[in-house]
Amino acid sequence: MNPSSPDRRYPATRRALLRATAAAAAVPLAGCVTAGGGDDGAPAAEGVKSADNPLGVPDATPLEVVIFKGGYGDDYAVHAEKLYQERHPGATVDHKGIQKVGEALQPRFVADTPPDVVDNTGAGRLDLATLVAAGKLTDLSELLDAPALDGGGTKVRDTLLPGVVDEGAFDGAPRALNFTYTVWGLWYSRPLFARNGWTFPTTWDAMLTLCAEIKKSGTAPWTYQGKYPEYINDPLLAMAAKAGGIDLVKAVDNLEPNAWKQPALLDAATAIAELAGRGYLLPGSEALSHTESQAAWCQGRAAIIPCGSWLEAEQKGVAPDGFDMVMAPVPSLGAGDRMPVSGLQAAGSESFIVPARAKNPRGGLEFLRVLFSKPAARRFAELNSTLPTVTGATDGLTLSSGLGSVKAAVDAAAAHTFAYRFRTWYAPLAKAVDDATGELATRRVTPAQWADRIQKAADGVAADSAVTKYER
Amino acid sequence: MTSVRSGRNRFLAGAILPALALYAVFVLSPYAQAFYLALTDWTGVSGEVGFVGLDNFRRLADDPLFRAALRNNGLMLLVVPAVTIVLGLLLAALVSFGGRGGAAGPSAVRGGELYKVAYFLPQVLSLPIVAVLWQFVYGPTDGLLNGVLRAVGLDGLARSWLGDPAVALWAVMAVLVWSSVGFYMLLFGAAMESIPREVLEAAVLDGAGRLAVLRRVVVPLLWDNVQVAFVYLGVLALDGFAVVQIMTVGPGGPDGATEVMGLGLYRNAFTYGRFGYAAAMGVALFFLTLAVAVVALRAGRRERVEYA
Amino acid sequence: MTTIIERPVDAPPAPPTRRRRRSGTWGPHVFLVAWAAIVTVPLLWAVTNSLKTDREILTSPWTLPEQPRFDNWSRAWDQASIGRYVGNSAIVVGAALLLTMVLGSTVAYALARYPFRGNRIVYYTFVSGLLFPVFLALVPLFFVVEQLGLLGTYPGLVLVYTAYALPFTVFFLHAFFRSLPTVLAEAAFLDGCSHWGVLVRVMLPLARPGLISIAIFNFLGLWNQYLLPLVLNPDPDRYVLAQGLAALSVSQGYRSDWSGLFAGLTIAMLPVLAAYVLFQRQIRTGLTAGAIR
Repeated sequence: MNPSSPDRRYPATRRALLRATAAAAAVPLAGCVTAGGGDDGAPAAEGVKSADNPLGVPDATPLEVVIFKGGYGDDYAVHAEKLYQERHPGATVDHKGIQKVGEALQPRFVADTPPDVVDNTGAGRLDLATLVAAGKLTDLSELLDAPALDGGGTKVRDTLLPGVVDEGAFDGAPRALNFTYTVWGLWYSRPLFARNGWTFPTTWDAMLTLCAEIKKSGTAPWTYQGKYPEYINDPLLAMAAKAGGIDLVKAVDNLEPNAWKQPALLDAATAIAELAGRGYLLPGSEALSHTESQAAWCQGRAAIIPCGSWLEAEQKGVAPDGFDMVMAPVPSLGAGDRMPVSGLQAAGSESFIVPARAKNPRGGLEFLRVLFSKPAARRFAELNSTLPTVTGATDGLTLSSGLGSVKAAVDAAAAHTFAYRFRTWYAPLAKAVDDATGELATRRVTPAQWADRIQKAADGVAADSAVTKYER
Repeated sequence: MTSVRSGRNRFLAGAILPALALYAVFVLSPYAQAFYLALTDWTGVSGEVGFVGLDNFRRLADDPLFRAALRNNGLMLLVVPAVTIVLGLLLAALVSFGGRGGAAGPSAVRGGELYKVAYFLPQVLSLPIVAVLWQFVYGPTDGLLNGVLRAVGLDGLARSWLGDPAVALWAVMAVLVWSSVGFYMLLFGAAMESIPREVLEAAVLDGAGRLAVLRRVVVPLLWDNVQVAFVYLGVLALDGFAVVQIMTVGPGGPDGATEVMGLGLYRNAFTYGRFGYAAAMGVALFFLTLAVAVVALRAGRRERVEYA
Repeated sequence: MTTIIERPVDAPPAPPTRRRRRSGTWGPHVFLVAWAAIVTVPLLWAVTNSLKTDREILTSPWTLPEQPRFDNWSRAWDQASIGRYVGNSAIVVGAALLLTMVLGSTVAYALARYPFRGNRIVYYTFVSGLLFPVFLALVPLFFVVEQLGLLGTYPGLVLVYTAYALPFTVFFLHAFFRSLPTVLAEAAFLDGCSHWGVLVRVMLPLARPGLISIAIFNFLGLWNQYLLPLVLNPDPDRYVLAQGLAALSVSQGYRSDWSGLFAGLTIAMLPVLAAYVLFQRQIRTGLTAGAIR
């Protein structure tokens, strides 16, 4: 039978179908059973370690690189692969730029024939926690302790922005390394605001006042990427974190009882509900994909859109000339905020992993050493207007409008950055949060109902003995 | 004689065994294994398999998304086959008998061949392609549907079809109906044209109206086809995966409004790595499919009208 | 087997009542035209959009393109790899179709014409496959294919496609072979033909109409596969068309290349639609045959 369209096959008379039904019922009873997944694999190749080859990359061994080809494209990786080949002339590099990393690689992880290095990013990425729990990822400590390329003896670990190593650590062992530094905020076109005499607000009250003014001008104040409700989560959770401080974030991540009912979270939820309630969201946003809503924003149909710092790169070719987008941190909810308004939700993304069962894991580590070097990182920043996690990678570059605003925001935030971890740790909970926030932004649930249903989902995860728990 | 016999057996072995082996490896064994996997907690990436008994099924009963999927597939099961079959019968009757009627009984409509070609078009497109197309048709701002509604002054009806939980599932069902009607219309049409004309003429002479003839004479004669159509459309309604996965918010949203079992299975297996749990969903889906087939074929049983 | 027979369009005009003439002549057409519009307008809209610029799609969605932009098509074909996906589909579907026809017709023939112990069991084992939801097999199938080292390979897809196309093929051809006359085969046996010889030289030529129907049918089914390749064919270089197009709607989305996306959609639709319009009679006959006897 053709599974995706069973109606396309049309055999039968009723009688024949009846007999087939009976036969179908009988088959499983007679079936055989197998267990899956062998755990044997050949030992990986290893070369001689030297000052020039600190990770012991074997000679003339092919390297397979799989890159998530999303908003950043994959030119930067191709560039790094060239640098890799310059260092290891005998090696051929097999490069794949793909969109649905999980779909493509899940089978290969199961089969223990994974590629040598993977950029595990994008909507269809693999669940890191599952991979770690199954022992499928190489410990990256050796890479972090190796000397950085062209780093004058500095260890790789010390060339990375603060927090980057911890982010990819599971129970103390680094398993993933994020290549880009992403911050989340609210985006607007600077010239548009200047023309209208609008200033971007730092408090929520001022935001509501501004929205009223924008609406009067005939533009929708906000739009959002409704087809993927996680986007509208970000301003909500960021405002809550700034109001409640890092303790709020930890309570949420550690699945503490009633964590989602903390006042700051309720206030932030109320704020988002208010946007919808006052008609400040572009009608139809709830069904727009990221590309559609962002295009609408670039066409001036809405003034503000929440997004991560990849937005400028993603809108290349869509944003009209002179659009000059900039990002601002989310406003503060009130005077009682525990964090300054410059506080930023920040996290690494473009999460690189080296599969444990790769044919050439040493090559994989070495590729990361090349990629996380200053020249390669700088190249990435130039191509994509995005901050890499390598310190000083943008020094001396002329920054675009968006990247400039992002860098300024990162500098202003200094140590006041935060990130929620529940999304990586408990994917089903993240889905529950997304669904609830989607409903909140369309006013189909109240803030209190929103908190209730997420809390229920979180309690469910906490009570589920089958889920591996993490603490921070 | 013996050599003939052994030649016959060799022939049978050569003709049947290769196909049977292929079928056993790729079709029968996976189906059988699914029943075993459903009783484990396998994550798919490791070789370790823990036996958990019926735990996965207990979880299924408490899983709000799975319950939403059951509800949605259930509604689809009620709506999609019924609407498709009624539309198919109606269109088939119009094409076959919609022409100028006379003493000789109803006749085919002018240009019927053209209609048949047009109606069947969606059927040759695969559902993913249909889903990509309809994703744009349903677009809230630049979509075809809202554009048409606004163009004819029905602005009030324009809405974000896939963003509103009250209509999203109906939008999905409409796509399934849209893509299936042509086939069933042809099927019923072919069956109608094989109905002896005397039967219809007699009914017309008895003074029955067109609808009455359709309901009382034609449909009973087609009952076998209608039942089989129910089975196949039922299977389609229990699936819906491609359309939902490509087209809807989330996907499966908003807030589970278009969640279907296939999507939950796919997500649990290939995103969350819960292969055991996903297999349990497959088992549940299997029994539902079986139940639908049995109910459609047994409960709706009628004496078959023989005219041959 | 039933073919669709056209009724004479004009029955001798008898004096109809006024009411009946109205409803009989115009009523059906209103309804029929309405459904024809519902079916064709979205398709035409997609084709029109594939020839517009992005700007035209967004700003003037209702007009025809100022000038048709066939470069959208070439962009979709080359850059968005639609051309490659079409090639992949052709390879996989072609091979699977051939294999399905060879295996399916021999099995169906053997089961239909040779009574032996267990014949019914084998037959219903095959036919039972018609009623299993593929979702049930999905997870284990994935691991079966993987353990055979066939994941993401053409042979893997071809074998799986064939295995899943067998139930209906066997079912259909079984009925067909049973309906064929036995006289010719018996004569051939008396002439000293072997069992294979009878199958190849006598029975298959006799079964030609049925073989053609089921081949067309399998072609459509296999060409439109989505779930199986989605799970079993993860390498983007080997994506088949339906899979590639679904991926395209995400990746072109990243570049907000609407016209390219519609062009990809159109390229994916047109060959099948064209093939259908050319062979529509055979296709419809093939699809509805077997349902009515």
